[in-house]
Amino acid sequence: MINHETELKLQAYLDGELSSGEAKAVEDLSTHDADARALFEELKLTKSVLAENELEVRLPESRGFYWSKIQRQIEREEKGRATEQTETAASSWWLRFLAPAGALAVLVVLVVVALRAPKGAETLVALDGSHEIETPLEETSSFSFQSEAAGMTVVWVDSHRE
Amino acid sequence: MKKIFPFGGISLTTVVLFFACSCLLRSGSTDLALQAQLVWGTNNDKPDDPKLKEVDAKVTERLRTALKWKNYFEVNRQNFTVHAGTPKKVKMSDHCEIEVDNFGNSSIEVKLYGKGKMVVKKTQKIKPGELLIFAGDDKNDTAWFVVLSQTEK
Repeated sequence: MINHETELKLQAYLDGELSSGEAKAVEDLSTHDADARALFEELKLTKSVLAENELEVRLPESRGFYWSKIQRQIEREEKGRATEQTETAASSWWLRFLAPAGALAVLVVLVVVALRAPKGAETLVALDGSHEIETPLEETSSFSFQSEAAGMTVVWVDSHRE
Repeated sequence: MKKIFPFGGISLTTVVLFFACSCLLRSGSTDLALQAQLVWGTNNDKPDDPKLKEVDAKVTERLRTALKWKNYFEVNRQNFTVHAGTPKKVKMSDHCEIEVDNFGNSSIEVKLYGKGKMVVKKTQKIKPGELLIFAGDDKNDTAWFVVLSQTEK
């Protein structure tokens, strides 16, 4: 029974990877050890079978041209990726600007629409600063309302407070 | 030496005159011609005092759109002019007086006095055709009104 180390040595010998000293030692082993010889023969057979049946691919062009073509393709793809990233960065800058600006515009429109009274509706108490009302007497209260339909502002004075 | 503004003196005078004219046109007349009416509102068809006459139909219609009373009778009417910066006091009845101050640009301050005491003070713009009304309720579900408006020139 041979160990794993010997199996690897036999494989390396078959592939021609051993030094002359190591190769001599493996040859001696395979001559005297039946198991080693049997494994060596099996590996040799396998190698010959694989080598004979391996499909050989022939390049349609020269080796240098073939690899330079691959290199050019890689470079082209890398350039395209870089351009894409730049475009994405530019569009994200616009998005960063446009998104809040758009949201603000929508908000302003909503506020304007919300504050705008429907035509003909009566508005209670004017909103602008030109309207001021003051009631100095404690026993009197007042409130004012504006009727846009009638074109009038009414200041109602209530002097019946208890 | 070359002047920055050619014809400097003439140009400057023209600009100053232009702005002065613009300001004068913009401000217009600073005097405000107003009318104040003391009105009594009731749901009765006839006034308690037969001497009272009905308020102008157009004004009555406008009052009816915003107020609950059916009929409005004029107790007193005063036409007066208020100069800017010179408050004008107008007596509407024995117990009721108004004081109007002209702030310019149709902006006025109106003080309403009841039995000599200031009851309410209101500041706002009064445009031609608009009414500024001071009101309060009275006995038997009636009400009094002081109706202020700009008089047509």
